[in-house]
Amino acid sequence: MTKVPGKGLVEGLGVTLKALTRRSVTQQYPDVEPELPPRSRGVIALLEENCTVCMLCARECPDWCIYIDSHKETLPAPEGGRARVRNVLDRFAIDFSLCMYCGICIEVCPFDALFWTPEFAYAEGDIGDLTHERDRLREWMWTVPEPPALDPGAEPAKEVTAAQKAQQPPPVQQARQAPARPARPSRSAGVAADRPEVDPPAGDSS
Amino acid sequence: MEKTAVGSLSQLTVGVGAGDMATADMVLNIGPQHPATHGVLRIALTLDGERIVRAQPIIGYMHRGAEKLFEARDYRQILVLANRHDWLSAFSNELGVAMAVERMLGLEVPARAIWARTLLAELNRVLNHLMFLGAYPLEMGAITPIFYAFTEREVLQAVMEEISGGRVHYMFNRIGGLKEDLPAGWLDRVDDAIAAVRRRLPDFDRLIRGNEIFQARTRGVGVLAAETVLAYGASGPVARASGVDFDLRRDEPYLAYAELDVPVVTRSDGDCYARFEVLLDQVAASLGLAGTCAQRLRDLPPGPINVRLPKIVKAPEGETYTWTENPLGINGYYLVSRGERTPWRLKLRTASFSNIQVLGELLPGCLVPDMVAILGSMFFVVGDIDK
Repeated sequence: MTKVPGKGLVEGLGVTLKALTRRSVTQQYPDVEPELPPRSRGVIALLEENCTVCMLCARECPDWCIYIDSHKETLPAPEGGRARVRNVLDRFAIDFSLCMYCGICIEVCPFDALFWTPEFAYAEGDIGDLTHERDRLREWMWTVPEPPALDPGAEPAKEVTAAQKAQQPPPVQQARQAPARPARPSRSAGVAADRPEVDPPAGDSS
Repeated sequence: MEKTAVGSLSQLTVGVGAGDMATADMVLNIGPQHPATHGVLRIALTLDGERIVRAQPIIGYMHRGAEKLFEARDYRQILVLANRHDWLSAFSNELGVAMAVERMLGLEVPARAIWARTLLAELNRVLNHLMFLGAYPLEMGAITPIFYAFTEREVLQAVMEEISGGRVHYMFNRIGGLKEDLPAGWLDRVDDAIAAVRRRLPDFDRLIRGNEIFQARTRGVGVLAAETVLAYGASGPVARASGVDFDLRRDEPYLAYAELDVPVVTRSDGDCYARFEVLLDQVAASLGLAGTCAQRLRDLPPGPINVRLPKIVKAPEGETYTWTENPLGINGYYLVSRGERTPWRLKLRTASFSNIQVLGELLPGCLVPDMVAILGSMFFVVGDIDK
């Protein structure tokens, strides 16, 4: 440790001098928007067309910040059938002042009704305004990015394998699949006919 | 002035008539709200002038009942909570819980998940250490280093955010592996980030390690003997700076550490400077490990990154103890299950809790200004003390 006194300080100043010549890393936020990756957990969006009011998200939420209200509606019996009961969503709200941004609700949703989006600029002056109701949650849907492509070593996503399987199989299976496909986007028409056994029990158990 | 001290309560006797020139001890509270403490740790100091006679760390100001909450949450929800007690090492915290449950279930985690977890744990370690490398000089009046540290942290956080979606609370572990596979090209960006941080490490050397003022304030200050370390169960960088050559990654390897050559950074001085040096050198070592993991991930055959489990995971009846080398020291998880979907008890042994207990031994005899240097060099997170 026999050094020239003050050498350490001068070296430190050298670092500062070097930093002076370097480009600044600061992003001027309101003017420059940050580029966030698609997996970024900013806010939760709701695709309410997909929601079957199964209540799984509300139950699995670690701090119960999802509020769901619904009522049952009886669909008139189709010819020769019995009347169907289905759940209709009245209220879907997420209280982002309680939310821990863990993503469990999105993970458990069996019908892909919840999505992450990287949007983050929704600070409020009043804490009550952090509870986003269904229309606001639906608006966030427009900002949901495509998921990123996976690493070459990864297993293909289960949606991809399912799609490939759906394309390849012999005509016997394709005939069975064909009517089931359009049923997903237009739920109101499809669900009662296609999944009569799935919906009512899920709603009852809530 | 006939107010002589009465009783055992230490009172300040002022006045000439008091006779002997004896000074009374003064009790000084550092915290719970104090600029020199990070978080809400309170220390009751008994002072004789500037010298500390007795120091008693008082904890509990940030108690959130996490362990009790674990008993009412299923294993996936526990990860959310576990990741929060030490907010600077969120990934490592999740990891311990996941490993404990996996051991109870007798679950074999896929190779890709093991290597990815090792990689992320090491990146998390670097992130944690960079925080302290920036904050410690800051506590002693050097404002600049924290800006450098945060520039590097940002590079790593971008990589962590890309894979997990979170910048602090990653929530990326699941029982049986990881939540999602790596995004395409992520490993290259990890390599870039590692290279970027590595390039800037010499700056820390020159800015802080070699700085005479920093050395004057830390060398020979707060010397922690190896016996005290063992007596109090201190661990991690704090213990290794006192010459306790113990690192679970090498001595009881978990994850993929058995296949890695883990360099254990130690010092023998046990003073604040040694603790800082251990942290600084550990960053370089962890970057090396992370680089190796990234390479191994590339070479692995394609495969799953998690195990498909039923919706409700129930750990079988029994108990297990898992421990991991967290960035701040040894974290232990004692999991007792009665075969339900929630644990019957999940006890945490956290590094910061044991590390700050040493303060009671370390502070007496020091001067008040040294207290700040010692406190900062114990590298603790208050949430990790109180749980």
